[in-house]
Amino acid sequence: MSAGGAFGGNRGARPVPPEKGVFPLDHMHQCDLEKKDYIGCLKSSGHQSENCRIFSKKYLECRMAK
Amino acid sequence: MFGRMSLSRLSSRTHILPLLQQSRCVKDVLWSNYKYTRVDTSCYAGVWGLMPRCGYGSNMTNGYRKPQSFGSGCLWKSNSFSSFQRHYASHASTEQKSRKMLLYLTALVFAMVGSTYAAVPLYRRFCQATGYGGTVQRKETVEEKIARHSKDGTVTTREVVVQFNADVADGMPWKFIPTQREVRVKPGESALAFYTAENRSSTPITGVSTYNVTPMKAAVYFNKIQCFCFEEQRLLPGEQIDMPVFFYIDPEFETDPRMDGINNLILSYTFFKVNED
Repeated sequence: MSAGGAFGGNRGARPVPPEKGVFPLDHMHQCDLEKKDYIGCLKSSGHQSENCRIFSKKYLECRMAK
Repeated sequence: MFGRMSLSRLSSRTHILPLLQQSRCVKDVLWSNYKYTRVDTSCYAGVWGLMPRCGYGSNMTNGYRKPQSFGSGCLWKSNSFSSFQRHYASHASTEQKSRKMLLYLTALVFAMVGSTYAAVPLYRRFCQATGYGGTVQRKETVEEKIARHSKDGTVTTREVVVQFNADVADGMPWKFIPTQREVRVKPGESALAFYTAENRSSTPITGVSTYNVTPMKAAVYFNKIQCFCFEEQRLLPGEQIDMPVFFYIDPEFETDPRMDGINNLILSYTFFKVNED
């Protein structure tokens, strides 16, 4: 919206924190495999998130477990 | 006696004595001439039985004399006194008026300053309510939204392409890129995306990120469930890490007429360095 510039545009917009908070990062690279699976699926399926839903679920489960 | 003395003083200054002697009543206009030619800063308390007038300069002093001292037969009393009273009254009322004006203007100044301070929270509330300028709205949680939409059975057909952008601030020796170029997602489906960051320097660096969604009016519908932003992330030298973002586009995106031409959303993250002291 070009009119957003009048009110300070980007400056005026306050970023909102995520709902569930911060994703604890995988410093230990324990879920690397799941991540690679997901990325590979995305690339092969034309970046359709629907098709790779199962892999993202796996990744999240891995992160929750470890 | 006293009057004659002052009269001679007067006449020596302004040469109005012949005029005075000729006319029966001295009109105000002559007196006004006299008033402005003589500036006197001393006090005339009780000289002519008038109110003390110190420092009023040319305005009010010396212009008025008691009629008795002059001995004229005309109705001076009403003339000079009424004009004097009129002048005094108007002076008092102008003083009152200007005092009122001062109060009004001071109040106006305070009102302006106060409204400037109040504008900050008011504007924030306005942005929250209208989502103006890309403010992401927070009315119900994503869980509630998902529950509501699954209950309603809303079907979304429009596919939205979410592209990713990654930036680092100046002087930040990190390599920060999105792991995938884009994700095609339908509103109402949650999706996962990754960013990769690598610390290229030889010292541990802490960074914090912030994000933005463009186009700004679509930011209202973009909900982040979980991400790595707003928290300090520490990377050891040479460490590479994957940062996931879990997001969800509100199905109401489809029904909004303002979003008609929008099929591309760009999620942009910027990393800033945190100074470690």
